[in-house]
Amino acid sequence: MHAPTIEPETDSAPSVASAPAPAPNTPASTYTGAALLAAAGGLLSACGGGDGPSPGPGLNPPSSPVPATDKPTSVRDAARFLTQATLGYTRADLDALMSAGSFTGWLDTQFALPRSASHFDWLTAKGYGDAANIFSTKGLDNTIWRKFIASPDALRQRVVLALSELCVVSVLGINSSWPQFAVGSYLDVLEANAFGNYRQLLGQISLNPAMGYFLTFRGNVKANPATGSQPDENYARELMQLFTIGLLQLNPDGSVQSAGGKPVETYKQADVSGLARVFTGWDLDSSGLTRPYPPEIMRRPMVQVASRYETGAKSFLGATVPSGATATDSLNSALDTLFNHPNLPVFVGRQMIQRLVTSNPSAAYVTRVAAAFANNGAGVRGDMKALLTAILLDPEARDASVAAAPNFGKLREPVTRFLNWARSYGVTSTSDTWAIGDLSDPSSRLGQSPMRSPSVFNFFRPGYVPPDTSFATQGLTAPEFQITNEVTVAGYVNYMQQVIGNSVTGDIKADYGTLTPLAATASAAALVAEINQVLAGGALSGATLGQIQSAVESVAPNTANGPRNRIFIALTLVMASPEFIAQK
Amino acid sequence: MSDFARIRPDNASRRVFLQRASALSIAGSAAPWALSLSAMGEAAAQTATDYKALVCVFLFGGNDYANTLVPYDQASYDAQYALRSNLRIDRSALAANLLKPGTALPGGRQYALAPGLDPLAPLFNAGRMAVLLNVGTLVQPTTLAQYQARSVPLPPKLFSHNDQQSYWQSSSPEGATSGWGGRMGDLFASGNGNATFTSMGVSGNAVYLAGKSAVQYQVTPNGSVAVRGIASPLFGSAAASSVLQSLMTGARSQNMENEYVRVCQRSLNANAQLSSALASVNLATAFPSGNSLGDQLKVVARLIAARGALGAKRHVFFVSIGGFDTHDSLLDTHPALMGRVGQALAAFHQATVELGVAEQVTAFTASDFGRTLVSNNGGSDHGWGSMHFVLGGSVKGAAFYGNAPVIASGGPDDVGQGRLLPSVSVDQYGATLASWLGVSNTDLASVLPNLGNYSTRNLGFV
Repeated sequence: MHAPTIEPETDSAPSVASAPAPAPNTPASTYTGAALLAAAGGLLSACGGGDGPSPGPGLNPPSSPVPATDKPTSVRDAARFLTQATLGYTRADLDALMSAGSFTGWLDTQFALPRSASHFDWLTAKGYGDAANIFSTKGLDNTIWRKFIASPDALRQRVVLALSELCVVSVLGINSSWPQFAVGSYLDVLEANAFGNYRQLLGQISLNPAMGYFLTFRGNVKANPATGSQPDENYARELMQLFTIGLLQLNPDGSVQSAGGKPVETYKQADVSGLARVFTGWDLDSSGLTRPYPPEIMRRPMVQVASRYETGAKSFLGATVPSGATATDSLNSALDTLFNHPNLPVFVGRQMIQRLVTSNPSAAYVTRVAAAFANNGAGVRGDMKALLTAILLDPEARDASVAAAPNFGKLREPVTRFLNWARSYGVTSTSDTWAIGDLSDPSSRLGQSPMRSPSVFNFFRPGYVPPDTSFATQGLTAPEFQITNEVTVAGYVNYMQQVIGNSVTGDIKADYGTLTPLAATASAAALVAEINQVLAGGALSGATLGQIQSAVESVAPNTANGPRNRIFIALTLVMASPEFIAQK
Repeated sequence: MSDFARIRPDNASRRVFLQRASALSIAGSAAPWALSLSAMGEAAAQTATDYKALVCVFLFGGNDYANTLVPYDQASYDAQYALRSNLRIDRSALAANLLKPGTALPGGRQYALAPGLDPLAPLFNAGRMAVLLNVGTLVQPTTLAQYQARSVPLPPKLFSHNDQQSYWQSSSPEGATSGWGGRMGDLFASGNGNATFTSMGVSGNAVYLAGKSAVQYQVTPNGSVAVRGIASPLFGSAAASSVLQSLMTGARSQNMENEYVRVCQRSLNANAQLSSALASVNLATAFPSGNSLGDQLKVVARLIAARGALGAKRHVFFVSIGGFDTHDSLLDTHPALMGRVGQALAAFHQATVELGVAEQVTAFTASDFGRTLVSNNGGSDHGWGSMHFVLGGSVKGAAFYGNAPVIASGGPDDVGQGRLLPSVSVDQYGATLASWLGVSNTDLASVLPNLGNYSTRNLGFV
């Protein structure tokens, strides 16, 4: 029964290795602001008819621009960039970018950084593959925190968290043995493709056992005329709705196409049923393994069980996979269809902007990012490096005057706030167990924990509009407000107070080496200023800094625990400040 | 059968009815639908001196209606499980949960509750629970031919979880900014002592609870959460606590910051009153353990018990339970879900009896959508219309409302695979509940904007 695992690369989706990504540090003509504006203008006018084509290889791709200056002009500039591009940065990271670095140079360095030990390998090395753990999630939170906090590849980890909230898998929905290895392997797939190609990512997640379990197409069976049973439609539907094209036809700037006053839908129920026939026959690859299967089975791409595969023709989105096509060919054909759908670059691109930079990007910003994702300048669609470069170097992301507008930015997710602190102060686990645990409890923890989303719809939706707010009045979205309420705002502050208070004596230890000398002086101004630059992205106003300074100075520095408590107070207050919580 | 709840002579209600009818008549803008006593009984809710609470129990994921309310008469049972032979519940396991309505359904149709719902069958038979047949999202009454021809407006994004959740709660897809629970809250907030404690949730933000002006307020199963660093000195410093409070509550000019602050303000302002009100509540009714829905409904019961201290005349609650997206392993997972729902709802009703407010509290179920009748290998797929329950002392129970759908795939009542075309709309369901809570007929249109498309605006189940 063991069909070969598929190779998702096809002619229409060249692998990253064979198609060089754009060299972001060589701003040739395609990367100039003038080219950008010209191309963006062209796209905007092209979509006026309501049927805007996706920019194809024939168009001069506007790709990502280089900002007016590629070097940060202020500490705040550098801190803003690192806030958007990482899950937290240290004083040393900030100094390096300020003194020698350029934004593009930083990106190049990050793109080249090797991956740290994989989730799967760490789980194995730490003994979580012992038989006693077969039906538990033990180890999963540990390895997640280890990576997000301590892995040196800062940009990759930021992107992995973002991808995990776009192509969602939750361990809460994995009804199998070795759920921690399944989800760990899924994260490893996201990591492997974070700087790769989105088409390859789609291919790999579509054969990943965690996804197979979570969206229930592992073991999916073709229609049975005797019983009337039909293929499970779960993956087919959510793959289209959430991972690739969305429900509505989009213009290249992210706006919705309409016809006769009504939004144009991308697919109908018949398309879901048709595509569901593709996702039949896939199951775990147990070749050479004996029961009870070891964790290894959770990192092997799924393989075909011919008797369950629907060999008949499959029609969806105007495409037809002919009768008799192999399962692998059917899968590749289906993914190619979705990958080449005009919606994909803008659908994915806009959400990645929301994760990294701002909840309500302008149409022009979305257009530029989508165009770079549609064509990296070398004719490659789906290039993640081009996408990230376009998002992070766009004038709208970099321009401090844009950031000063009252609606700009995004709420930092509770998880990213926690990680910002942990990475800023080099948190380690003395025992290397990273026993931080599940932080989902909204009343005593963060109300959010990676890979523990309540459903495939993530912790919050890209289109969430917080009711009874100025956003609702203005018709703007603010996704992270979906998990912001009277309970979570209090639970978050309480949890951070607890974690910060334990961060000197507990197993999860922070390195406050940069703060300790500043905590012993009478004036706390330098201490607060330092935390502002490194933890808060330089976003705190003078008034807030003054308030926090006065609070810190209420504690005498010359007692045994004085300096420590001063640091704890300063960190807790910064993290409770709305100016920190709203990333701008 | 127990029909005592069906007719409730009430002179006060009749008086209000006459006043309202007269007012409408004078205004010359009387709504064209029949005014019923139950709809008009509490028309002047804003000045009400009594207490009522409406509790939405949302089953996230789209509940499998067919294995929840199971056809029991042999012909229907056989028809259903011919279409989902691998999802069969033994008929013998259903006998104890056979529903015994006061008036039998036409055609010999009978239903039983899934085995896990066994605590609810006696409540139905005692007249405390009603069953809504084939209710779902619609814009207007829709026939199968109209659906197939797309000749009438349909709810957008049918079969999509997030959008249909939103449509159920708000009459709009994702991105909606108010729901019909919150819009009722808008009407009642001014009559409550503290408007914050009008539309309350225990399972996180839900658009159902958001009003156009009234905000939703969230608690945990243990009540509200205090900020520890404010309640006691932050790392030993009262001055730092004071700064913490100031930072969390000071108005901001940046919108993200300011909206965050507004939530913090509500959290801090409400905590003292809420925790004090709950502290004096004694509730003896045992709730099931290890049951998150039970935990949520327990705090709802405690909040109801604390209604005096909270100054509440009208409460709109939202609780939920997830896990209903049963694409596979349905026979493994769905019975346990039914068990949790059945035990939690029965305990909640018992708690309202203990508190002496059973007739003032109505709970009802809702869900993204129903599912297909036809199975896939181990579960069912996204559907549309579904079966729902209404529970409480004022419910005209031991009765079915709506039409029992023909059990078929591609039959007269489904749009394929047993995805039911709703015969009753969420608007009608909601309007009936809103009327009971005390929303006037003139205000109903603002609560449920599509209601004007229906000639029957009160289904009469409560």
